[in-house]
Amino acid sequence: MPDWKMLVRRRMGQLDLPSGSEKEVISELAEHLQETYQHALSHGLTNRAAIRLALQEVDDWRVLAVNIRRAKESSMNHRTKSLWLPALITLFGASVSLAVTQFLRLQPRLVWVGGWGMTFYWQWLATLPLLGAVGAYLSQRAEGPVRARLAAGLSPALIMLIVMSLILPWGLAIDGFHFFRLVGFGLGLINWVVIPAAALLIGAVPFAFRSGWNERVDA
Amino acid sequence: MPKRIRSKIARGSAEIAMLSLLAEQPLYGFEIAKQIGERTGGTLKFTLASLYPLLYEMEKRGWVEARWQSNSAGRDRRYYRLTPTGRRQLAPLRAEWRSFFHALDALAGVSHA
Repeated sequence: MPDWKMLVRRRMGQLDLPSGSEKEVISELAEHLQETYQHALSHGLTNRAAIRLALQEVDDWRVLAVNIRRAKESSMNHRTKSLWLPALITLFGASVSLAVTQFLRLQPRLVWVGGWGMTFYWQWLATLPLLGAVGAYLSQRAEGPVRARLAAGLSPALIMLIVMSLILPWGLAIDGFHFFRLVGFGLGLINWVVIPAAALLIGAVPFAFRSGWNERVDA
Repeated sequence: MPKRIRSKIARGSAEIAMLSLLAEQPLYGFEIAKQIGERTGGTLKFTLASLYPLLYEMEKRGWVEARWQSNSAGRDRRYYRLTPTGRRQLAPLRAEWRSFFHALDALAGVSHA
């Protein structure tokens, strides 16, 4: 007897639905094929003919996947709900938090590391675990996969990484290669990407690996 | 045995067929398809591909709700039942189809009676 779940999953490909919902669809369709197959067997068909009959239930699996996605999706698609929106909220929260820190004239702390000065906005960094948690929680609530939850929680650091990755080659192209520029870039990376990412991660991790409420149907 | 009717007509009638069936009792997908086939003498036939997108669409609209239940053999099946919203759709849909058949009968003489 074929493994109907495996067959459905393989033929449908990625449905891009919330993980709980996708498992549910696969289980339900596999169950339907299984019943069709057993019904055919009970009517005297051979194993091979019963499998063929069950497979005739679907002409084009890709079309079925599109139709199911369309039927299941709400007006806002799953990726928007589970990734872009939580990421945007986290990014907005981090920007507002930094702006408030500066507006209140809370001074950054200057830390010297081997002759190099680094400025830390401690007050801002202290708010990041909460914002990381918010991003990961919103993504988890929308049944986003672990990657989406982490990306949403870490979005402010990821955006800074992208910005800095664009600035470095630009700076090198204009001014040429300088050791000091590279060191400055490395320190900036630690200051605005690595440390904020670690702070965001503290808040995001508990939500990133927590199971969704409706992930009960095993694949 | 009556001929199976073409897919576009069958698709148009799918909503009322499913709602009418689910108004009687909660059913799972395979049973819905089986009963529609048997009770229409094979004229209407729903395959997996035509059944589930429509069931999910109706679930999204709030016309039906689904729940997993295990049978005595321990197999999980997803049972669909009509919601009050779905039940309210049934009467206007029936009226719509009735006037459609009257109109078609007047034009093309398709009625048995």
